[in-house]
Amino acid sequence: MSDKYISKEEVKKIADLANLDISGDAEKLASLLSDTLDYIQTLKELDTSNVEETFQVTGLTGVFQDDSDPDSLTKEEALSNASDNYKGLFSTKPVFKRKK
Amino acid sequence: MKKLNELTIHETLDGLKREEFTSVEITEACLEQIRNVDKKIKALITLNSENALEEAKKADEEIKNTGAVIFEKKPLLGIPYLCKDNFSVKGLVTTAGSNVLKNYIPPYESTVTGKLKKAGAVLLGKTNMDAFAHGSTTENSDFYPTKNPWDIRRVPGGSSGGSAAAVASNMCIFSIGSETGGSIRGPASWCGVTGLKPSYGRVSRYGVVAMASSTDSPGPITKDVKDSAYVLNIIAGKDPRDATSSPVEVENYTPSKHFSLKGYKIGKPKSYFNIDLETGVKEKVEEAVEILGEMGAEIIDMDLLDPKYSIAVYTILQRSEVSSNLARMDGIRYGNDRTNFGFEAKKRIMLGTYTLSSGYYDAYYAKAQKVRTLIKSDFEEAFKKIDLIVAPSMPCIAPELGQSEKSSMYGELMDLLSEPSSVAGLPGISIPCGFSEGMPVGLQFIGKFFGEKDIIEVSNLFQEGTDFHKDFPSL
Repeated sequence: MSDKYISKEEVKKIADLANLDISGDAEKLASLLSDTLDYIQTLKELDTSNVEETFQVTGLTGVFQDDSDPDSLTKEEALSNASDNYKGLFSTKPVFKRKK
Repeated sequence: MKKLNELTIHETLDGLKREEFTSVEITEACLEQIRNVDKKIKALITLNSENALEEAKKADEEIKNTGAVIFEKKPLLGIPYLCKDNFSVKGLVTTAGSNVLKNYIPPYESTVTGKLKKAGAVLLGKTNMDAFAHGSTTENSDFYPTKNPWDIRRVPGGSSGGSAAAVASNMCIFSIGSETGGSIRGPASWCGVTGLKPSYGRVSRYGVVAMASSTDSPGPITKDVKDSAYVLNIIAGKDPRDATSSPVEVENYTPSKHFSLKGYKIGKPKSYFNIDLETGVKEKVEEAVEILGEMGAEIIDMDLLDPKYSIAVYTILQRSEVSSNLARMDGIRYGNDRTNFGFEAKKRIMLGTYTLSSGYYDAYYAKAQKVRTLIKSDFEEAFKKIDLIVAPSMPCIAPELGQSEKSSMYGELMDLLSEPSSVAGLPGISIPCGFSEGMPVGLQFIGKFFGEKDIIEVSNLFQEGTDFHKDFPSL
């Protein structure tokens, strides 16, 4: 087991960023993610100092969609999988905490 | 004589046109095979039998009323197929193999299933997969692993494992899979069937549960190459609903009767043959390359970047895109909340969040995108001298269940030979080329960008001169 690249504490921070509950698995994840990052270091063997990134392979840019799609969802369809809704709107949990 | 569920698409079409049998009869034969063998194989997640029989009945009526001319408008009329469970089908539960989407019923249709429906194909059900397509064995399905029909102690490959196992066990006439880095070619190789991964942008991703948006490519899994062309003819093309789908004109992919390998240059990359290949796999693939030579092709030894770099690039890009795509799974608008992610999904989201986070972005994500440029131009240079690349599809035969837990890089190491072409967006195919220890071995062809037709012509010619694709497991 190694946490060479990511510590248990960093794992907890990332889990918080990703909104994931990893309780009990932090140590295991630190080790597995470090193994993967260790493998990835092989990229350092390649000189990319004068190389541009390829974010996408098609070369297509500025593709716009016709905004008059007649088949858009009805409100009922859009809400059909919602865990909860209120008067035709999605219900969510509160995002902010009230100050005491 | 073949049973109806054992037929290829072109055989089924011939029979339907001559009214030798009906779509209802073929559909019933497939459903019966599913009932008989799927307890053992576990290829399916959802069965759509009632709708399928109804669609088949309608198809038969159309054929009866209009005659064979109807197939010009609906080229796959009455053909039953299975679809990987990451394609949204309106009104039919679509889980992507995950507990997060266990009860998700899409209110809209993916472009691929929509096009197949319009072409008359009959959807029998949805197939098992690694949850959110994260894996190379289908063991990461949140529901149950699928078994390899050639030996149920072994995995079928993944992530389109259910689709490949279903075709190999004749539960359908063809199936649909999707590949991000090996997810069609891998299971096709291990199950001994034909799996075509089209160029990125050739087939619309609209309505497919996203894995890695910059490489996801839907494609057919079939009983022979001709069939994969028949399906590609339907599903390929620009889709206004997928901005990354390409406006490059779609060809008629049906193999020509006059194609010849004379003067054709096939590159054999040393770096793909010098890795730790299983002896049986190496032998069968070398024999296949010899056959290609005998058929007239010029086999040229060539250099390509070591595939180990592609694995590293793929791992970073895939995890990064996964973390972004799965961020939408909040359990509010659809699906269950984030506590329902399996361990593999969590692991991938975590790594992607890390590689995209401030301070690490340049070292990982940007570096990977730069190496991707090197990989892409490496292929472009290669294709100036050759027409097609030949390689093994997988480094070994299908392993026994449970092996994938042993290494955090297991899936990537298995997909070593398909990930370079995936990150470059190139098309590839896996076709059967013999057996090692009683298990199928896959031969891979990689083509230039939008070179699907080349791949189809060469692999079809190979199948016309050989019988490897005609073997199916006895269940």
